[in-house]
Amino acid sequence: MNFSSAKGRHKINKGSLNLSSMIDVTFLLLIYFIVTTVFTPAESLLSPALQLEEGAASQAQDFEPQIVTLEMQGIHTVYVLGGQVLTSRVEFANTIAKLPIAPGLIIRVKNEVPVGFALTAVQEARNAGFERVTYVPAVD
Amino acid sequence: MIDIVFLLIIFFMVAAQFAQQAHIKLDLPTEVGEEITHKEQNKLVINILEDGTIIVDKSEGSISLQELESIVGSTLGEDNTSWQNITLRADENALSKSLNEVIGVLHKHGLSATNVATETP
Repeated sequence: MNFSSAKGRHKINKGSLNLSSMIDVTFLLLIYFIVTTVFTPAESLLSPALQLEEGAASQAQDFEPQIVTLEMQGIHTVYVLGGQVLTSRVEFANTIAKLPIAPGLIIRVKNEVPVGFALTAVQEARNAGFERVTYVPAVD
Repeated sequence: MIDIVFLLIIFFMVAAQFAQQAHIKLDLPTEVGEEITHKEQNKLVINILEDGTIIVDKSEGSISLQELESIVGSTLGEDNTSWQNITLRADENALSKSLNEVIGVLHKHGLSATNVATETP
């Protein structure tokens, strides 16, 4: 016996769902995150030894270290190595390449010098193969 | 295709989160750096902004040298902590005055060396 009437029989839609709007939202989200994502650049490290000028005199060293002072002369940053004033990084690299590496290199940095310039000296010292590179804040 | 799209969304959402939790945005000096043989856990990252402001924890804002001293002291007081667990990140346009002051603090706590972060070219 069929109790259901033809008029009242409703078509049951099983499992049908309109996904087109969800796909639109999904793509919008994807585009948003692609546009707003910022990837951080890779970082590396320089590891100079540290020393303060006050304590330098009390430390006994087997070798006399070579000292380069980074300072401002006018608006230019210069490397002062012995009696030489070097104005470019290439000049500095070529000069320290001729120095013996065993004694190490002390990099005295004056306060007015930009950090980037100071680190170029540390990097060039490492590139030249110095066994010991020491960063010393210069006392004015 | 929907699975791939969802995977991409999740990837970029996670990448955005990592970028936010990563270090403070600075113009680090562009240098190759050294081949670091030790891979120590970074317990303390000291950021020096272009204007000389020192920031250790992004959420706490700038700190003074005295506060930095106590932070460095407490960090070094933890077990197995040495200079290799501390990294300095300084803006390349900042004056070395701030960097020198921070290095003075580190040296006062007996650190013989330090890590200075650079941006790999």
